[in-house]
Amino acid sequence: MQTFLQLLFAGLALGAIYALVALGFVVIYRSSQVFNFAHGEFLMFGTFLMTTFLAVGLWWWVALVLAMLATGLLGVGVERAILRPMIGRPVFVTIIMTIFIGLVLRVAVITFWGVGERGMPTPWRTDGGIRLLDAPMLFNALWALVFAGVMLVGFYLLFQRSKLGVAMRATATDQEVALGLGIPVGRVFAVSWLIAGILAALAGIFLGMFPRSVNINMSFVALAAFPAVLIGGLESPLGAVIAGLSLGVLQLLTQGYVNPMLGSFGQNFHQVLPFVLMIGFLVVRPYGLFGTREVERV
Amino acid sequence: MPDRSAVGCPGDGSGKGGRPVLEINNLEVVYNRAVLVLRGVSLTVPDGEVIALLGANGAGKTTLLRALTGLLDIHDGEVTKGRATFEGEDLFGEEPDAIIRKGIAQVMERRRILADLTVEENLLAGAYTRRDPEVRDDLEAQYARFPVLGDRRRSVAGYLSGGEQQMLAVARALMSRPRLLLLDEPTLGLAPMLVDEVARVIQELNQQGISVLLVEQNAATALAISSYGYVMETGKIVHDGPSEKLMEDEDVREFYLGLGGEGRRNYREVKHYRRRKRWLS
Repeated sequence: MQTFLQLLFAGLALGAIYALVALGFVVIYRSSQVFNFAHGEFLMFGTFLMTTFLAVGLWWWVALVLAMLATGLLGVGVERAILRPMIGRPVFVTIIMTIFIGLVLRVAVITFWGVGERGMPTPWRTDGGIRLLDAPMLFNALWALVFAGVMLVGFYLLFQRSKLGVAMRATATDQEVALGLGIPVGRVFAVSWLIAGILAALAGIFLGMFPRSVNINMSFVALAAFPAVLIGGLESPLGAVIAGLSLGVLQLLTQGYVNPMLGSFGQNFHQVLPFVLMIGFLVVRPYGLFGTREVERV
Repeated sequence: MPDRSAVGCPGDGSGKGGRPVLEINNLEVVYNRAVLVLRGVSLTVPDGEVIALLGANGAGKTTLLRALTGLLDIHDGEVTKGRATFEGEDLFGEEPDAIIRKGIAQVMERRRILADLTVEENLLAGAYTRRDPEVRDDLEAQYARFPVLGDRRRSVAGYLSGGEQQMLAVARALMSRPRLLLLDEPTLGLAPMLVDEVARVIQELNQQGISVLLVEQNAATALAISSYGYVMETGKIVHDGPSEKLMEDEDVREFYLGLGGEGRRNYREVKHYRRRKRWLS
């Protein structure tokens, strides 16, 4: 039982990070139908920026906010400079552009920060934690959950309750109508990229604290969040969060219980599992758990 | 337009006609820098009147509305000539949100409600350009005007019936407190009873002082509730006059009301009509 809870807690924390990454994909996809393949590089950029901010001696919390904002603004800049002019072109072209942006960012990160590994200092004791239901929960996991929870609730309120949220959803549903109603569609795109960038940086910073260090392969986490996006449904923020959390838990439980049974074959089975599930979903339920089956009257 | 003076100008017929709210002069629109869709269209909407714009598919009616609301850009269209003023202010070159703030709202063809949003959210989206605190009051005013929307304010708009969706589209446009309402085929695909309902709503709005430009293919309904009508064909106004006169006009009766023809017509006469219209314009 104790092992189970321990794995559950760690899994939830990892899942919360997946949820943040997946939500970043969904926000952009929903507003502009663009699948942002550079999302992983945004995440990496934000994390490296954070290490630099800390290295120059900024207070941890200030560095966190600055890194998140800077990554968000990078998103806004990329959207404005490279993607906005592509409006009206085939979406396929735009998606290729995001791959290109990802490559440029990757090169930029290597140029400025090098390929070496770095650590991510934390304001709390890395090995410390609390005991919940008699099982240990690391501070890292706890804070990851807290931060992700705050961001997700904040996003939910913004999206569902605010005027800007109505504008974002209107734009996602029908761009021409949104324009016709006087909604500044360009600004809506910019806000989506800002949010996506902020979420990416936060996710990256917490990933950097977990056993994995800060390195140039971090961007592949976006790849790991990919199944969460598709299983949750590309267009559903709620789906992305639920699928992200579930995948995190499932992955750690698999690592703890199933991998040992599979012998040498099972070494990394937990890393493949999400993709196996994703393929299953694509076959059975291609629109995901919560994706839109077009609202349609019968 | 030589025939204009002969038939009269909008506002002459009804007696109540005031100064023009909307004036379009010699408007020319080109799509993709290649296709000339509007070829010198002039049209006037006097204050407080309903003006009908009739025409078959592809005549350019929707393009005209796009030009007025600033939505030509996203369709690769461009105003190449002409001028449009709303209460004396130029419209061309303005962004869509600025045009709405001036007091023009449009109901797009095929209703185009935001299917994923609730009824209330649709209305709030319509009030996006407003910053005043009275939006809530207006929301209630729309629910009072269209009780069916009030009953279903929390339902997803995509599940409303066609008639309810049309009412929602009109209510959404009214949320920006327009003084001029542009309606693009509001009766399209509705049952006859609902067509009458839409007509009643338009008259009601008009009585409250909103001027209306009603774009329609349903000529009978449009002429019945308007004071003046224009007939558009292949990008030109080919005919115009007070609505009562248009309803009696032989050509309009035959081609837009489906009346008047005695027995079968032969093709030669149709050609003759086309030639005559060209001369008229």
